[in-house]
Amino acid sequence: MMKGDRKYIVMFLLPAAAFLSIFLYYPFFKSMYLSFFRTKGFTTKTWVGLDNYVRMFSDDLLGAATLNTLELMAYVIIFQVGLALLLAILVDNITWGKGFFRMVFFFPVVISGTAIALLFVLFYNFQFGLLNTLLQDMGFDKVNWLSENMALKAVAIPTVWHYVGFYFVLFLTAMSKIPSDFYEAAKLEGITGIKKTFLLTIPLIMSDIKVVITLAITGTLKVFEFIFVLTRGQNDTEVLGTYMYKKALVDQNFGYGSTIAIYIVVFGVLLSLLANRLLKRDEITY
Amino acid sequence: MKKSALTILSLILMMSMFLAACGGGNNGGNNNTGATNTPSATPSESTEPSKAPDPVDLRVFSTFGGTDAAREAFQKALDDFTAANPHVKIENDVMSANDDGFRTKVNTDMTSGNEPDLLFYFVGADANEIISSGKVVALDEELAADPEWKNGFAPAALEFTKHTDGKTYAIPLTGFFEGLMVNKKIFADNGIELPTDWEKFKAAVSALKAKGIIPLSGPFDQSHYLIEHFVLAAAGAEGQKKGLKDGVDPNWEKGLAAMKEVYDLGAFPEDAATIDLGMAANYYSEGLAAMILEGSWAIGGFSDDVKANTTVLPFPAIPGGAGTGKDVVGGFGTGFYMSKAAYDDAAKKDATIALLKHLTSPEVIKNIATANGGTPAAAGVQPEGLAQAVLDGFAMVSEATSVNSPIDSKVTPETFNTIRANIQPVVTGKKTPAEALAEAKEIETAAK
Repeated sequence: MMKGDRKYIVMFLLPAAAFLSIFLYYPFFKSMYLSFFRTKGFTTKTWVGLDNYVRMFSDDLLGAATLNTLELMAYVIIFQVGLALLLAILVDNITWGKGFFRMVFFFPVVISGTAIALLFVLFYNFQFGLLNTLLQDMGFDKVNWLSENMALKAVAIPTVWHYVGFYFVLFLTAMSKIPSDFYEAAKLEGITGIKKTFLLTIPLIMSDIKVVITLAITGTLKVFEFIFVLTRGQNDTEVLGTYMYKKALVDQNFGYGSTIAIYIVVFGVLLSLLANRLLKRDEITY
Repeated sequence: MKKSALTILSLILMMSMFLAACGGGNNGGNNNTGATNTPSATPSESTEPSKAPDPVDLRVFSTFGGTDAAREAFQKALDDFTAANPHVKIENDVMSANDDGFRTKVNTDMTSGNEPDLLFYFVGADANEIISSGKVVALDEELAADPEWKNGFAPAALEFTKHTDGKTYAIPLTGFFEGLMVNKKIFADNGIELPTDWEKFKAAVSALKAKGIIPLSGPFDQSHYLIEHFVLAAAGAEGQKKGLKDGVDPNWEKGLAAMKEVYDLGAFPEDAATIDLGMAANYYSEGLAAMILEGSWAIGGFSDDVKANTTVLPFPAIPGGAGTGKDVVGGFGTGFYMSKAAYDDAAKKDATIALLKHLTSPEVIKNIATANGGTPAAAGVQPEGLAQAVLDGFAMVSEATSVNSPIDSKVTPETFNTIRANIQPVVTGKKTPAEALAEAKEIETAAK
């Protein structure tokens, strides 16, 4: 690298750094600052030291929201990542219609989450929802799909469905990067079908699976619209995102809302570190 | 060559940072003028339009949008104004008041230097902040300077929108009442007596439940009207007014306990926990539910058939409490605010005041009241073609022993939302009313 290049590199990096600082680091540190205040709406705030953190540790609702988020995360990791992997393997193994399936599976990702959630409101509605109308037509009793026992699972369905396509495409791209001589060698050795998938394909895309799981974990921490539209956080479906919104913006208690935001960040970082540790593998290069 | 490119780039970067800094600085400046420049030195009245007026862009932020019954009437009022004043362009910015986001949006706009010139917003506790931070101006002098405008209002309406400091910041348009809306036809068809007292209310709930009709349509999350009426019916006007500042009135607990009592009788929809206000109103409007606690603004949205069969009753008093059975929630809960920014902007001030006067003129008030069934704030105005349910509501208000502003104007938002969040645990028995209210009281104390 020539010496003069470095100047340009720094110059081109600076705008992005400025944007990140303004829109990411500044709000983050501002939240941290606000978490030490008891705010009253937008204009008045009083220093309360660690009161918000004390409150956080004794907040039952926050504990419940954390558990619900973890439950949702389990569904997302098992079903969203699992289904995406399954679909990617299937699509990777067909020769005809790859493009069609890729488009069909990717489609939900482009629809806004709120629109999907509204769609599912019409599926789940107790009085005249699609599912209950079908049940009644078949002579069964109506089911409250969003009852206390089922609400979180019912919400998990659109959540999973919405992003399956995204991870599916990531997996498919990873698979297409595997050099074909690996498969040819396997074929000569007589390894085909399911064996090939488990012995070759999945081990070779392990680093992508790791990335996807990290994305799924952090993505679940941001789930908001499905809960907010479908159940409004009632019936044991409150998650961290909706709880923070309610505290900060509906209650206009920005201090405590910021405290929860900090908690979400710490929680997310810890979870991703944990996931990385559990999935630790040697990087594969081909 | 290389050097100049570097200079230009760094200059751009510097400028962008400077701009960002400017945004922050501006805000601070606004705050300062708000604090120091109280509207003491108001220039004398000069509403005469100048000879060749410069174009003015005004932004009006209100709730008259979406499915609001008065949306068209309001748009027409704005159009009439721009037709008479071609130099004025109005941006009609709207958001539904049902949404928690409405308050957030208003507060964000007001504090981030993005104030609308005219703001249609709640009076009472909700407005404390925008008033105390000097974002809106007191309009007493403007009212005093234009007796024709001032005398157009019913004195009670202006009295209602006065702030706690005795000044008028909000100019009322229409008032409202809330009450127990009852589908008379469902009651008659099933031979059930109208719920005029608590025992009859409970009997009706049981009978309707047995027939497979939703007795009382109400959501647990957006349980504003449920809380308002059950607490008022138990605690009475005085008990409700006290809020939670000086401890929990035991009658408030009776209100929540009564909610559990009727929940156990099957009063609420099966999915009450997860529906919102819109869906609850929909159940009533479609004839699936026999009763709903709603406000006068909702009547216009009911289907014609249900609307024709609806009457409005005060929520019955809960035995053992302090309610009279004729306490109602109502009054003038909203009004037009004029932002300090528009008031201080010489180019906008006159046009904004003229628009405000137009929007609160007797004709416009009459049109809006006709559309949304509200009580007109103008003196001697009689809206036309009102639904019988609305007239029943007016009658209910005229016979009321007290007309109260809603409970969420008595406590902080976080306190009220704590009660909201506890409705489902209370009715299902996971928490006692006393526990729920103690939690709310704790928040109220911390928020002081």
